[in-house]
Amino acid sequence: MATQAANLSAIFTKGKSTGDRKWSLYASYFFLVLFVIFFLFPPYYMLITSFKTNAEIASLEGNPWIINESPTLEHYHNLLTNTSFVTYFINTTIVTIFSVAISMVISVFAAYSLARMRFIGSSILAMGIFLVYLVPETLLFIPMFQIVGGLGLLNSYWSLVLVYPTIAVPFCTWIMIGYFASIPRELDEAALIDGCNHLQMLTRVFIPVAMPGIIAATIFAFTVCWANFIYPLAFLYSEDQLVLTVGTVTTLIRGDVYHWGGLMAGALLAAAPPVILYAFLMDYYIAGLTSGATKS
Amino acid sequence: MARSTTASSQQYLSAAKPSGYRQVLLFLNSKAMIAFFMCLPLLILIIGLVVYPFFYAVYLSMLNKAETEFVGLDNFFFLIHRSTFWMVFKQSLLFALTAVFFKALLGFIAAHLIHNVPPRGQRVWRGLSLVPWVIPPALSTLGWWWLFDPTHSAVNWLLAEIGGPHIPWLSDVFWARFSIILVNVWYGAPFFLIMYLASLKSIPEELYDAAKVDGASSFQRLRFVTFPMMRNIISITMLFSTIVTLANFDIARILTQGGPRNTTHLFGTYAFKLGIEGGDVPLGAAVSLFMFPVLAVLAVFILRDVRQRAARV
Amino acid sequence: MAHSLSSRRRFIGTTSALGAAAIAAPYVKSAHSAGKLALGLWDHWVPGANDVMAQLCETWGQDNNVEVTVDFITSIGFKNITTAAAEARARTGHDIFSLPTWQVTIHEESLVPVDDMVEELAKQYGPYDETAAYLAKHNGTWRALVAPTGTHTYPMVSRLDYFKEHAGIDLQELFPIGHRDQAKIDSEWTYANFLEAATKLNAAGHPFGNPIGPTSDSQDWIGPLFQSFGSEMVNADGDVTVDSDATRQALDFMKELTSVMPPDVYAWDDAGNNRWIISGMGSCIQNPPSAWTVARRDAPEVAAQLWHHDTPSGPAGRYRGTLPYLWGIWDFSENQTAAKDLLMWLSQKEQTDTLIRASNGYDLPLRPSFLDNTVWESEAPPDGVIYNYPGRGNEQIIVAGYPAPPPIAANIYTQGLIPTMVARVTQGGESLDDAIFWAEEELAGYSR
Repeated sequence: MATQAANLSAIFTKGKSTGDRKWSLYASYFFLVLFVIFFLFPPYYMLITSFKTNAEIASLEGNPWIINESPTLEHYHNLLTNTSFVTYFINTTIVTIFSVAISMVISVFAAYSLARMRFIGSSILAMGIFLVYLVPETLLFIPMFQIVGGLGLLNSYWSLVLVYPTIAVPFCTWIMIGYFASIPRELDEAALIDGCNHLQMLTRVFIPVAMPGIIAATIFAFTVCWANFIYPLAFLYSEDQLVLTVGTVTTLIRGDVYHWGGLMAGALLAAAPPVILYAFLMDYYIAGLTSGATKS
Repeated sequence: MARSTTASSQQYLSAAKPSGYRQVLLFLNSKAMIAFFMCLPLLILIIGLVVYPFFYAVYLSMLNKAETEFVGLDNFFFLIHRSTFWMVFKQSLLFALTAVFFKALLGFIAAHLIHNVPPRGQRVWRGLSLVPWVIPPALSTLGWWWLFDPTHSAVNWLLAEIGGPHIPWLSDVFWARFSIILVNVWYGAPFFLIMYLASLKSIPEELYDAAKVDGASSFQRLRFVTFPMMRNIISITMLFSTIVTLANFDIARILTQGGPRNTTHLFGTYAFKLGIEGGDVPLGAAVSLFMFPVLAVLAVFILRDVRQRAARV
Repeated sequence: MAHSLSSRRRFIGTTSALGAAAIAAPYVKSAHSAGKLALGLWDHWVPGANDVMAQLCETWGQDNNVEVTVDFITSIGFKNITTAAAEARARTGHDIFSLPTWQVTIHEESLVPVDDMVEELAKQYGPYDETAAYLAKHNGTWRALVAPTGTHTYPMVSRLDYFKEHAGIDLQELFPIGHRDQAKIDSEWTYANFLEAATKLNAAGHPFGNPIGPTSDSQDWIGPLFQSFGSEMVNADGDVTVDSDATRQALDFMKELTSVMPPDVYAWDDAGNNRWIISGMGSCIQNPPSAWTVARRDAPEVAAQLWHHDTPSGPAGRYRGTLPYLWGIWDFSENQTAAKDLLMWLSQKEQTDTLIRASNGYDLPLRPSFLDNTVWESEAPPDGVIYNYPGRGNEQIIVAGYPAPPPIAANIYTQGLIPTMVARVTQGGESLDDAIFWAEEELAGYSR
């Protein structure tokens, strides 16, 4: 492990002495702090804004980066008791869980098939899957009005469960193809000799071995489904169906009146589940990506 | 030709007769068939919800404004004669390429920095750095917007404290473009960081040791070991990100609404403006489809890359 | 603010089959409307306004044995017009939809004609404002009624103290509660005078501020301003007429006016001017009473100094912008008779009065005979702050883009042509000719 950091000296040091190593480390920390400040100052500002009173938010007096008057939980309280935020949260959770589950089933099966088996057109499909991203959502949502409407799903969050896999599946399949491909062929052969059929091989051999890749793909799917904006904007309108991204905005901006405190509180609460998920699964995510996406 | 087909089908039929059921089962059980069935959900999803709507959108883009007449490519010819459209075209490219470059650059540097610190500390740095990518951008952009607000800008307050200038973040053409790129970089860089970090971890340490033994300088090691090893992931992430960034909608939509003077409109926001706000859906669809010549070029690169990948599979 | 945020969607059950006759509607009402109705209405930002609307619908539903569902859909992020587009395309959704400004033109083909209702209402209460016909009557057929909720206009909202102190203008005296001296206003409240005042206010550190960008507030003050100089982008026949002396005059005026406005106005959204006046920096904006309402909550000392009043006049008259909401019935609605009955009932003066009161006077019916509601006199502080909001003088209410044929005007408005032309000159430093040439080119494309 000690040598692992050495390659970084590639950037910051010329020599190899321990003194230089130390300085390289300090330099790394210094720049990392700068990076983290860049990454975190907007969320920090959102956080403190969510604790300010309306009067303080509107005021031009004082340092905006600190809470000058006594902090308040008013915005959180209001959000949780007087708005449908909790409903949005539940809806988002349902939509995301189903979308991710569907996406993963589709991706894992397809990736296994494309990585390990062959049929007519399979190589074209393996290539073409990525091209899905070439078709932007801003183009798709209008024709989708007809599809979603025709299925009777307009203003139902199940419409999102229908369409979200289109944004998650290509990348997930791609990660999984890479991961499955990195699994040694000997493993299949051993399994085949043991009399496994393809389905058994997938569920008993490949899925357990590819767990880090599956977790990485799942987290990716979770992130994009949780955060999508344009599809709920297009398909949902009533309060009992809306999801967090759109619902928070439509509830807390009233006409030309912005409830900044509430908006910031809502944004932070909406970000909490993905943050928690990442906090717990980060190691798997990195490990999954390491073998899945990067060994190409 | 015809005869042979008939013959073979007869043969098939006669063979199928005694054990047709079994034959079908056998066929369905063949490896190719199973493989196909495993891909079927994917195919249904893509054909039903991407390919079909895509061609429908292409069809829409060839109708007149009232959608009563087929006008062929008129909408596209109309667009290429509009100066505003070309402005949007150039802006979209500028936005996507600049944003992707800086996302990749910052991601690359930050990944190396994190890789350089002791493993125990890496988790924390990694976690903190990933926060922007985890907050739904539609909501975090609102936070940025409040930071950039003309009267209440907390960033400008800070600049004023240190004697800096008052920056018109969203009202000046340069700064407005700068701002939407900045927010996109802020949001997207962590994704690059994590991909690159994963990639760095997969580079065998021996390569560096060997390079050191050969007396390679740090720059040479970066140039001859790190880059070649990361080349694939760098190109894939950049291509992927270019596509997604080019189609970006929410950041410009929320931050500038395309202003000032249409100078921050992107394909997505401009298409929405024409199609939904202005009620000219065919023209809006045509704008979105104009991304395609650009994307097609990228697609060639992706396909090449993916093919290489597939070849290795 | 709080309680209106909850439960915007309501399911209103049927309770009684009685009382259909209790509704005094002169409109030839169908004998028995029944079944279900779904309404997609504009999500009112005034606390409690949605509840009153829902309550009215519930009452009507009970009396008529109709199950009424109301969804309040926000205009934020163009949610409402995106939903309208979705429903028109999917041919499913609500029965009645509240459509802002240009959406009736855009969805003309999908809306049921309502001529008989408009006629009947005109017989009862006199005609709508001309703008209503401009926006809702296409090819001789009315496709929508003016919504009793949501429609608002853009008067000036000024600081009484700043104007008195720095510009020497007593706005309360010029635009009093009750009888006004219109001749005095006509001679003293012109754009020339306003520019003079704005210059002084700027010198005192309290500039006039209004957005010059792509959002609706920008159109709603600059459009009428150009009209009052006599500048029309496209005339009623559809000819591009932007290249005129009037346009040059208006652009010249904007050059001077923007020189005494905050430099950030090009990035302001619809709330930018609200924040400007609430922060205490601004002396004047153009906005419906929402800015004042928020000031009353967050900065009461500012609110107490605000006054809503007429826009200045230019060489070609005095114009004020409006953002109307229009109620249409989708042609795929399966209960069009009930929809018409409900719409007719809600358009009666009694219901309209109730709704205006519920909005604290924010909603303005586009029917002159409805402007006698007392709510505009009673709001405070200061007393009578929105007395002049309904328009007590000679302002004409228009939308930016008028009098171009609505499909063209819709583009002028939604693409922000006029503010963009202005900004090209005042911010981008282009010559008048270049900016006008650019506008001509754009306009040529709008009439496709």
